[in-house]
Amino acid sequence: MFEQQLINGLTLGMIYALIAVGYTMVYGVIQLINFAHGEIFMLAAFLAVTFITVFGLPIYIVIIMTMGCCALIGVLLDIFAYRPLRQSPRLAALITAIGMSIFLQNLAMIIWGSRPKPFVQSALPPFLRTTALTVGDASISWLQLFIFGIASLLMIILFLIINKTRVGTAMRALSQNRTSAALMGINVNRVISFTFALGSSMGAVAGIMVAIYYNTLYPTMGYVAGVKAFAAAVLGGIGSVPGAMIGGIVLGIAEALGAGYISSLYRDGIAYAVMIAVIIFRPSGILGKSTLEKV
Amino acid sequence: MIGKTWLKAVAACLLVLFLSTPALADTIRIAVASPFTGALAGYGDNVKAGVTLKVEEINAQGGINGKQIRVEWMDEQCEPREAATVSSRIAQNRNIVGVVGHLCSSAHLAALPQYLRHGVPVVAPTTTAVSISEQSKDRDGKTWAFRVVYRDDYQGEFLAQYVNEVLELKNIAVFYENNDYGIGLKDAFVNKASKLGLNIVGQEAYVSGASDFNPQLTRLRGRNPDGLFISGYYPEGALIAGQADNLGMKVAKFGADGFDNVDYISLAGSAAENTYLTVPFLADAAEGDAKEFLENFRNRFNREVDWMSANAYDAAGILLQAIAEAGEDREKVREYIAGINSPENAYQGIAGLTYFNDKGDTLKPAFVKKVKDGQFVAAPVQMD
Repeated sequence: MFEQQLINGLTLGMIYALIAVGYTMVYGVIQLINFAHGEIFMLAAFLAVTFITVFGLPIYIVIIMTMGCCALIGVLLDIFAYRPLRQSPRLAALITAIGMSIFLQNLAMIIWGSRPKPFVQSALPPFLRTTALTVGDASISWLQLFIFGIASLLMIILFLIINKTRVGTAMRALSQNRTSAALMGINVNRVISFTFALGSSMGAVAGIMVAIYYNTLYPTMGYVAGVKAFAAAVLGGIGSVPGAMIGGIVLGIAEALGAGYISSLYRDGIAYAVMIAVIIFRPSGILGKSTLEKV
Repeated sequence: MIGKTWLKAVAACLLVLFLSTPALADTIRIAVASPFTGALAGYGDNVKAGVTLKVEEINAQGGINGKQIRVEWMDEQCEPREAATVSSRIAQNRNIVGVVGHLCSSAHLAALPQYLRHGVPVVAPTTTAVSISEQSKDRDGKTWAFRVVYRDDYQGEFLAQYVNEVLELKNIAVFYENNDYGIGLKDAFVNKASKLGLNIVGQEAYVSGASDFNPQLTRLRGRNPDGLFISGYYPEGALIAGQADNLGMKVAKFGADGFDNVDYISLAGSAAENTYLTVPFLADAAEGDAKEFLENFRNRFNREVDWMSANAYDAAGILLQAIAEAGEDREKVREYIAGINSPENAYQGIAGLTYFNDKGDTLKPAFVKKVKDGQFVAAPVQMD
């Protein structure tokens, strides 16, 4: 049973991690907690289902199209909601983020209705739900393997983009000091837009996978997932991308083991308690850098 | 200058008020409080359909005393805090004579204090929580809250008996939603099941809106249940059924009235097969007037009747009959409904006879439905 719980937790954690990187990258670059990120995750699920039902496209193309659309939505979100507030106090941008979250949630309710919908099962290859391999008494389905695979692949790509490319270097420069980065000739707004696009497309993949995995999508699904992923980002050290990945996985496993062995009623409580315990001893999170406040 | 603008604004508001008043004078207003948005909007839809049908019928026959019925649809998303706000808005609007609602027991319990304090008669179509019985009276001992559905203690015991005698299951795993409805129903079921000698292998809780049940199911799977009782609503129920299926638990699933929604089958897919549920109204058992109702409902809404629509139709019927007989006065309407207290003067609705006891409760028979080939059908064996 332990192995199975670990696999349950790992699947959940991989999904949290994919959403959490979106929070952490945006925070790293402009110190904004983008509360509307959970809604991008939700929109991805609905867009994917719409693409399948309206255009009848295969799932692989749908995933890529949805990533593109969500990247665009992320960029537009930044341009219209956050960019005008770049020089305002941080609180103004934060409240705008909450406003955008409510706006997008209600928009989805108007477009798609508020009843939970199933994912289009006929668009998926039927072997997904069958068992891929058995470890001890635990079974892993192809779908779970698929989630591990895609999530790991995306994280590797993300890692390479951030550490090996020019735009990644620019992102890191921006996270250290925006003014100096601008003085060095970095186009700040373009890099920020790129960050939003990257984070949103990761969140989009997570949204589609959650919709497939649980076979349900509804306009408020982004809220709970968003809060959990935000906790994962904080746990890992907000602003740190590898931290968000580790944070997501730790949180997912803590939740699954907590629900499996302690009490299912307090599963969220257990997950947050783990987060609080880490924050008490390492206020900047597992991989976060502690910064000195200069007076 | 600013003062003048304000004055104009106030004048405009007053004008709108005066203009709209004459329109109100020749209508009778009732409120329907249910979730019309949010995860349980599917239920709100059912209630809306039932009430709409009743109101349209009465309005087509000329209304009550020549006045048309107007319904205020109040959305509370099945959230207790929203229900508290909505109920206070209803209570303070003296034009509203009575309420049909709420849909969820937790929301109903949160709304009741307002109705009791301000004296608003309320007929609930679907709330089954036991604790509502103790909160249906105001300080002077007058009953304001009535319901046209059985209670969870009756339903839970009935289900335990059915599982024991008809399905002949022995080891039952229990999932329950952590709210008034889920806990009350689960407790009634577990108590009766234990008395009948059934083995409860485990009880797992979840909160509304949860989507991942794999950890709990994994734990339950290790104890080899042959039945899975889900004490909650269909959105989570469908996920639990689906995830149990993925984990290889090929067991009979059973739930209660909270499962009776076609979305359960579309969300759970093939995992919905072999699900049994108790309902207060069964279209297949309908006779006389009810047959006509089924026909009208199908023509108007293009779908089959579910029990919530049937009960909402009856709840609205009782409230409107009371208004027709006693007048547009909250207190008189209350008195009239409280007077429906014996089989002799019972209200003949499409879901059977309704009469209330001192606490506003009623006794209705339970029926069993099952999912077969992607559809709800009457279970082959019913039980008295």
